[in-house]
Amino acid sequence: MRETAGKLLAEGTVDVVIGYGRLETGAVGAVFVTKVADVDKLVWNDECHQDLVVYLTRKETKKLGRPAVVVKGCDARAAVVLANESQISLSDVYLIGMVCPGMKNTKAANDASGNLPLYDRCLTCQDRVPRHVNAVIGDEAKTNLLSPEEAATKGNFARLAKLRAMSPQERLDWWSHEFSRCVKCYACRQNCPLCYCNQCVADKNRPVRIDTSSTLKGNFAWNILRAFHLAGRCVGCGACANACPAGIDLDLLNLTLAMTAEKEFGHVSGREVGTAPLIGSFSEQDKEDFIR
Amino acid sequence: MSQIITREQLKSLISELVKADTLVAAPVATEKGTCFFQYVNESARVVLDAGTSVANSIKEFFFPRHEEICRFVRQANDVVVTDAPVFDKRQVIFGVRPCEASSLPVLDPLFAWDYQDRFYQSRRANTTVVSFACTHTDPHCFCSDMGGSPDNASGSDALLFDLGDGSFEVRTFSDKGKALFEGRTSSSDRTGKACEAPAKTLDLDAIRHWIDAHFNDPMWDEETYRCVGCGACTYSCPTCHCFDIVDEGSFAKGKRVKNWDSCQSALFTLHASGHNPRGTQGQRQRQRISHKFSIYPAKFKVFLCTGCGNCTRVCSTSLGVKPMLDKIADKTKQK
Amino acid sequence: MSTETKETGGFEPKVIAFVCNWCTYLGADLAGTNRLEYPANIRIVRLPCTGRIDFNLLVKAFEAGADAVLVSGCHPGDCHYTAGNFHARRRWILFRELLDTLGIDTNRVHFSWISAAEGAKFQQFVTEIVEKTRKLGPYTGYREIVNN
Repeated sequence: MRETAGKLLAEGTVDVVIGYGRLETGAVGAVFVTKVADVDKLVWNDECHQDLVVYLTRKETKKLGRPAVVVKGCDARAAVVLANESQISLSDVYLIGMVCPGMKNTKAANDASGNLPLYDRCLTCQDRVPRHVNAVIGDEAKTNLLSPEEAATKGNFARLAKLRAMSPQERLDWWSHEFSRCVKCYACRQNCPLCYCNQCVADKNRPVRIDTSSTLKGNFAWNILRAFHLAGRCVGCGACANACPAGIDLDLLNLTLAMTAEKEFGHVSGREVGTAPLIGSFSEQDKEDFIR
Repeated sequence: MSQIITREQLKSLISELVKADTLVAAPVATEKGTCFFQYVNESARVVLDAGTSVANSIKEFFFPRHEEICRFVRQANDVVVTDAPVFDKRQVIFGVRPCEASSLPVLDPLFAWDYQDRFYQSRRANTTVVSFACTHTDPHCFCSDMGGSPDNASGSDALLFDLGDGSFEVRTFSDKGKALFEGRTSSSDRTGKACEAPAKTLDLDAIRHWIDAHFNDPMWDEETYRCVGCGACTYSCPTCHCFDIVDEGSFAKGKRVKNWDSCQSALFTLHASGHNPRGTQGQRQRQRISHKFSIYPAKFKVFLCTGCGNCTRVCSTSLGVKPMLDKIADKTKQK
Repeated sequence: MSTETKETGGFEPKVIAFVCNWCTYLGADLAGTNRLEYPANIRIVRLPCTGRIDFNLLVKAFEAGADAVLVSGCHPGDCHYTAGNFHARRRWILFRELLDTLGIDTNRVHFSWISAAEGAKFQQFVTEIVEKTRKLGPYTGYREIVNN
C-alpha cells in the first residue's frame, strides 16, 4: 500500500493520498499524505474502521488536489454510489482497495478469548474484496467470508431480526429509549460518505421541516429522515453508528432499507457502476400488493 | 476518622430521593454496556462504580440540550406570552467524575455575567453533585494540565472514594453535600485514595500566546483535515455552552426554546448574505480552541476546559482538544 | 389536535388523506357531487402528485394526532406527470418497512389508486379505513411518545 501510494505521489498521478495512519492519540484514523517521504505514516490493520470516502466531497480536502483514497470493500461501494449520483467521477480519484479482514470494534469489551470482537457489520460482510477500484492490495484468499445464508443469521441481521420479532409497541418503546439519548449533534450525517448535501433539510428553517430540538419528536423526525434519505444508497459502512456519541444503533434502520431494496428490487447499492439511483428510478413491475 | 457508606446504602438513598420527588441522575448502562448519565426512577439500573467511564456530560442537567423559554398563544387580536416556570425541583447527580464537576465553577461566571440566566442558576442552586474520585485514567485524560486532579473537589458537593469492597469514603464540601449524607454514614478509620494523576505536559501560557499571535496560521487548516465537523466534541464537552434560540409551533400557538448548538457546524456562523466568516473546518476548530484557551480566560480568568478528554473519546477521527493543544505545543517549541 | 369524541361518547378516528390533485381529489369530488356519503373523519390534504408526497408528511400527520393516514393518487400509467405515482410506489415499498422497524403501526398507513371516475371506490375505501381505524382505536403510541 505504501509502495502504491508513494508511486502515485512520485509520478504525480495524485496530489494527496487519504489513508489510515496511527494518530497522536494512539487511535487509527485519517491521515493526508502529500509527500512521498511521508508514506510511512500510512498503516493498514484491523483498526481502520473509518470510511475515508467522506473526505472526497468535503470542501477542505478537495483543495488538496487530486486524491487517492485507501478504501475497504464497503468504502469502495460508497465511492461508486457517489459516482453513480454524479458527485465524483471515478476517473478523477484513485481508489487503493484493501482486501479487508473485518475491523475490530475498539469500543466493545474483549470477548471470551480476550480479543476485541469484529464489528457486527464486519462479521456478515460480503464485500471483503473491494470492487471497481484502481488497485486491489492483499490476499483475496484470506477473507474468511461467511456465505450469504449464514451471514443473514448473524451480526446486525440477527439483531434486526430480534427487533422485528417484537410487537410494534415494543419496537417503538425500544427506539424511543434509544433516541432519548440523541443530542442532535448530526455526527451521523457528518461522518456519512453519502450525506453530501450542501444544505441538509434538517438545517432548513424557512419553514422548519425537522424540529431542531432534541426532544423525542425532533429525534424521531430526524432519524427517520436520515435513514430514509439513505434508502437504496447506504452501503452499510457503519460510520453513522460508529460516530454516534449516544451509541444508537442507527445502522439497523439503514439495514432494514438495504434488505428491502435487495429483496424487492435486487438492488445492492454501490455494487455496480452506472446504475440509476433506486429512489430516482422505477419499474412498472414494482409490487403493489399493499395498494388498493 | 472518616465517614463510610456502602453501595447498597447509596442505592437505597437513590430510591428514597426518587420517592421524595427529587430528580436523580446517574450513570445507566445501555444494552451494549456503554454508560450514560440519565434521569432514573429506580436504583436498580444505576451503575455506581468509580471506574465507570460515562459517555455524556453532566452539563445537560444544568443547561439542558432543549429548554423552553416561553410559550405563546394567539387570542383574538392579541398574543399571550407566558414565561417558562423556573426550575424548582431538587436534583442530585451521582457518579460524576471530578473533571466534569469542576466544569460548574467554570461556567458559573458566564451564566451570571451580562445576563443573569435564571434557567442555569436555579438548576445550579437546586442540584447536589456527588462525585467519585477517579480510580484510573485513560490516555485522553489531561486534568493535571488544567489544574484538576483525580480527587479534585471543585464543583462537587461530596466526593466518594472507592474502598474496593463495595463501600466508599465520603468527604463533603458544602452544606448540600453534608445534608445529603447526614446520618447515613458510619465512622471508620479507613480512608480512600484516588489514582495517580495524569502527567502534566502542557505549557498553557505559551499555548495561549501562540494562539493569540497565529490567527491566520496555516496550521489551523492543515491539522484539521481529518475533522468532519460533526460537533460530537462540543455536545459531549462539559464546558461548551453555545445554544440557538428557535420558535417551534404554529401561527396559533407555540414555544420559544433554546437548543444546544455547535461552533463546529458550518451553519453556526453563516450570514444571511451567504458569507461565512468561519468558512472552513480549520477556522471552526480555531474558534473552539481559541475560545477555550484565550478568549474565555481573558474574560473570566479561567480556562474553558477541565481536561476531561470527552471530546477525543467521542471523536470519530480521534481529534479533540488535547491533540490540538499538543500540536500547538509543538509549534511553540519550534519558535 | 386531540381525538374527538361525539356527544354520544364513542371514539371518532381522525384520518388524514394525502391525495393527488388530478385523480383522487377529483374522485372525492365526484363522490360529493353524486351525493355518496362517506365519513367526515377523513381530512383531505391536496397535493400536486403522489410523487410529491414527502414521507415526512406522514410522520407529521401522526405527530399531530392522526389515527390513520391515507395516500392516494392516479392509477399506474395515468399520472398527470407521467411517472410520479411510479416513483411514489417505489418509495412507499421502502418506507413501510422503515416504519415497521421503528414500530409505527403500518395497519394505520393506507395506499390506494383512485381515479377521477372512481367516486364510489373513494367512498367505499374511506369508509373501510375509518371503520378499521375505529376498531383499532386511537393511535396513541407514536403521538404520546413524541409529544411528551
